[in-house]
Amino acid sequence: MGQLIREILKNRELIWALALKELQVRYKRSALGFLWALLNPLLMMVILTMVFSTVMRVPVHDYPIFLISTLLPWTFFSQSLAYSVESIVSNGDLLKKVYVAKSVFPLAAIVSNLINFLLSMVPLVLLLVVFRFPFYRTWFYLVIPFASLFLFTLGCGFFFAMVNVFFRDMAHILQIVLQAWFYFCPIIYSLDFVPARYRPLFRLNPLAYPLNGFRLAIYYGQLPSLASMAMSLLVGIVALAVGYRLFQRSQDSLVFYV
Amino acid sequence: MSSYERIAGAERVCFRDVVQRFRLIHERPDTLREAFAHLFRKRTSYHDFEALKGVSFTIHEGETVAIVGRNGSGKSTILKIIAGVYRPTAGEVRVSGQVGALIELGAGFHPDLTGRENIVLNGLLLGLSKREIQSREQQILDFAELGEFIDSPVKQYSSGMYMRLGFAVATEIDPDVLLMDEILAVGDAAFQQKCSARIDDYRQRGKTIVLVSHDLSTVRQLCHRVLLVHNGVLLEDGPANQVVARYEELLHNPGDTVMSAPASS
Repeated sequence: MGQLIREILKNRELIWALALKELQVRYKRSALGFLWALLNPLLMMVILTMVFSTVMRVPVHDYPIFLISTLLPWTFFSQSLAYSVESIVSNGDLLKKVYVAKSVFPLAAIVSNLINFLLSMVPLVLLLVVFRFPFYRTWFYLVIPFASLFLFTLGCGFFFAMVNVFFRDMAHILQIVLQAWFYFCPIIYSLDFVPARYRPLFRLNPLAYPLNGFRLAIYYGQLPSLASMAMSLLVGIVALAVGYRLFQRSQDSLVFYV
Repeated sequence: MSSYERIAGAERVCFRDVVQRFRLIHERPDTLREAFAHLFRKRTSYHDFEALKGVSFTIHEGETVAIVGRNGSGKSTILKIIAGVYRPTAGEVRVSGQVGALIELGAGFHPDLTGRENIVLNGLLLGLSKREIQSREQQILDFAELGEFIDSPVKQYSSGMYMRLGFAVATEIDPDVLLMDEILAVGDAAFQQKCSARIDDYRQRGKTIVLVSHDLSTVRQLCHRVLLVHNGVLLEDGPANQVVARYEELLHNPGDTVMSAPASS
């Protein structure tokens, strides 16, 4: 971990520049440009609200807010992984010619999505205003689910970026895994909807803790139990420690396989 | 004409018994389907190829050294090890000072970014800080002579413009050890002159240059010392004229078959 922090500090300008480049390239030449970062989650929310609130009549008041409070962090997670899984492979040519710390590529992929995520907080706030939904004081607590989610995403990002170098199916497998994971997470529903006997199974999902933290703070105005907070942070730290360790162990051989 | 002399000074690059082994894969199971296929066909689909078989040499501060050898002999592998791109399989490598690698010009340029944006990104990739790049931006622009193209995406550049920008950024870093892989022929004659002037300037300021080139007259002209590698072995290390002559002999020796390696893909 100390190694990771040193690498981040040493390469912070490069990571930032690569992340900005990623965004710049993503939005360049599109008429709406950066607005897409705001529009995308809103449109997604409209679709899911129509399906689950209007058609299927999920019994939740203010469903759009219920939904978007976890949809935004989920989108950050899934997009970050989708970008980082390819990050080493797609920079393979560069890695063969210039010495660069390999960790900068997954990091940049995640930072660029982090910027997107923070931007997407703007439509969330607008939505709360439009729905005349209260801003709870528990917003301050968001720091914890946010940190947990970020650490967990980093750990997964390192892991998938590394595995994809040796095993190119990973990118495809990840797509399916993310789709399944979306339904396994309390996003379109909440854990209370799950029959009691299946609930332990859903608690095995490491993402459930930070996502639930987001929803509690934004939608319910409640704080999760201390145990749940600790759990979500712990999951994030463990994921990062394991993911980065595996990445680091193979980083010298990555260049021979890209 | 240059003569071989040992210049007193700090060691810049030191190789001791360096071995670089590549796993040459014939059919690596890249995908799930192939992995399954390999479960049933139990034979190894790779062999280890030694691009360098125990190479030792020391390069001191202020030396200009060329590495010559036929295709696949291991020249580029040596440069990539010095640059830190490859971690050698065995042996000891010591490098002191900042290394600047001109292994491929414009590696890391992003086609959709403008020349100016790429200067910053490339400089960061090569290890400069943002402030250092900004303070050198004007020199880079002056050297590259791109005019108004500097604010267009580099995908619209001609290959010569692309190389010029790459050369300008990479040499403006002013490293202690400059590595060059076949990049002496950049741009038109006028620009080439500027490049050699810049390289001369490097040498005069006592910087270390390690270059790989097939252009033997340039090698004779620029280098104090030449290393001849052949099939991953350092055959000779000595004054330019002597080693180049030996290399020419080797080139014209028809009885010798040289295996070509994919090491410098």
